[in-house]
Amino acid sequence: MITGMQIATTMPSPSKGGGPVDPVFRQIRDLVYKVCGIFQLEEKLYLMADACGRRMKQLGVHSPREYWDLLTVHSSRDAEIRQLLNEVTIGETCLFRSPPQLDALRKVILPELVEDKSKQIVKRLRIWSAGCSTGEESYTLAMNMLEESDRLLKGWTVEILATDLNDRSVETAKAGIYGDYALRSTTDYFKRKYFSPIDEKKLQVRPEVKKLITFSRLNLQDDSRMLFMKGMDLIFCCNVLIYFDGPSKAKVIDHYYTNLNLGGYFFLGTSESLFKLNDKFHLIHFPGTIAYWKPSLKSGKL
Amino acid sequence: MTTSIAATIRERVARIETMPSIPAIFIPLLELLNLPVERVKLDEVVKLVSYDNTIAAQCLRVASSPLFGLAKSPESIKGAVISLGLRKVETILLTCCLSNAFPAKSWALDPTLFWRHSLGCAMVCRKFSDKLGGGDGDKAYMAGLLHDIGLLVSCIAFPKELTAAFALANQEQTPIEEAERTTMGFTHCETGRALAEKWHLANDMLQVIAHHHAPEQSEGAQPLVALVHLSDLLCRMRGMGYGYYERRRVDWVADPAWAILQKEHRNLDGIDLVRFTFEMDEAIEEVFGLVSTIFGGTAARN
Ligand SMILES: C[S@@+](CC[C@H](N)C(=O)[O-])C[C@H]1O[C@@H](n2cnc3c(N)ncnc32)[C@H](O)[C@@H]1O
Ligand SMILES: [Fe+2]
Ligand SMILES: [Fe+2]
Repeated sequence: MITGMQIATTMPSPSKGGGPVDPVFRQIRDLVYKVCGIFQLEEKLYLMADACGRRMKQLGVHSPREYWDLLTVHSSRDAEIRQLLNEVTIGETCLFRSPPQLDALRKVILPELVEDKSKQIVKRLRIWSAGCSTGEESYTLAMNMLEESDRLLKGWTVEILATDLNDRSVETAKAGIYGDYALRSTTDYFKRKYFSPIDEKKLQVRPEVKKLITFSRLNLQDDSRMLFMKGMDLIFCCNVLIYFDGPSKAKVIDHYYTNLNLGGYFFLGTSESLFKLNDKFHLIHFPGTIAYWKPSLKSGKL
Repeated sequence: MTTSIAATIRERVARIETMPSIPAIFIPLLELLNLPVERVKLDEVVKLVSYDNTIAAQCLRVASSPLFGLAKSPESIKGAVISLGLRKVETILLTCCLSNAFPAKSWALDPTLFWRHSLGCAMVCRKFSDKLGGGDGDKAYMAGLLHDIGLLVSCIAFPKELTAAFALANQEQTPIEEAERTTMGFTHCETGRALAEKWHLANDMLQVIAHHHAPEQSEGAQPLVALVHLSDLLCRMRGMGYGYYERRRVDWVADPAWAILQKEHRNLDGIDLVRFTFEMDEAIEEVFGLVSTIFGGTAARN
């Protein structure tokens, strides 16, 4: 039986096709979690080992032990952890990256927000895609909002703000042109409805999707600009804060708390955690995903 | 619940001829599970199991599966305990025991899903109890394994009604206990309680079975019931639920069960819930593997 075989190959050790992973990599995994809050599952530990392997090669380091020393010795620590993070998160972004987030958004959160805000005169939702990179996440959100425009969001205006530190990424995002790799999780339905082909290999996002989004450059560490990002209902900040150290991360999260409306939600990447960074947000579980919630007045759970 | 419904349930559960009588080795097995490992005598387990050939054979088959990766298949229960460890063998035995008591002919609920949920919940309960410290991990495990036993009772005593309840729950994507209340007027908590009384299970197990959806109503054993309640929710949010999307948000910390546990465990707020969730995701494959080796077959996640 197929299931039996899958179990036999995935259960005993985390390494794909090799022997057991050196326990030092587990230590490194824990260190990376402590420093930046990104967690590699045991079964994905080989990814951490691969990433370390690439760094070790570049540095000419021979044993995982020696590499561990580089990650912990004071003089090289911070720089090396940053380098390792670049390797760990390499080329991960794509459209429709996290279906459980989108399900939670459309099936649970939108109905709740729409009901909460139904008495307001201006029916408007504000969404912020913070650290949007080349726009994949922002367009995914926009398309999913458009899908609801005849149903839940009938008569509503949706504004999506998409920001990133990197100018080149923001320019690429504005163009909205994607190849097979970025579109590997996008269904034909969405491709046909919201994209136009520009050559055999590439598709471009249609104007009616782009219309929802404003792209701009923003440094999340720029406190004065952060103060202006007001009135958000939803903030997505996926796989961005992993590059930040503890205190700056906590500062950004505090801003997000202020930026959000009461009853708003904040999403991190699927393997990140806010633990000990902010105790005002409520941790909320949805099927297959988690988010942080700024309690609303009526919840009585402030 | 009115007394008349309670009486109907008790009467129906008592009357139904196919209602399982308690498997002979069940209670002694529970008692063994309740003892610290070092006090369990291997010979007692072996003797107990030898009373029931079907279960002994089933246990050996599971122990020989690739899931456990043993080089040599154990030929006796004693051999299985030596190579797999007592706790694993006990779990296999208990599960086989219960599944024999409730033969899965035409359940309203896919048996694979039911066992994944029950074993998953058992595992989460033990992990959670270990994190809290000072508790009794094995008792928590058992409570998790048995909490939804009322669903099995309802499968037999109220097959049509439960099928209708699941149909409604699937369609509306609402929690099963709500759908049961809508269609039947009572839930698996009440039918489970009737069985627990018939089988003379210990009071704390009875409280778990009867009140795991509203721990504040339990009489005695509140912290255990609260722990099972939260673990059940977590399983349902992380792919080990009842096989359909539940449109809901779970706020652990705002749940009354959290306050109950807080009174008992000072270090509750120190637990990193997100990391706990990730760790539990890791263990899911193991649960799925165990269930498919015991019962064969596969089912969709959720
Ligand atoms: C791995 S990408 C995440 C892309 C997308 N959110 C996703 O999850 O697929 C990380 C992005 O964070 C951006 N970033 C890093 N530091 C930043 C800062 N201080 N302010 C704004 N953006 C930053 C980087 O430029 C990069 O585009
Ligand atoms: Fe239940
Ligand atoms: Fe349950």
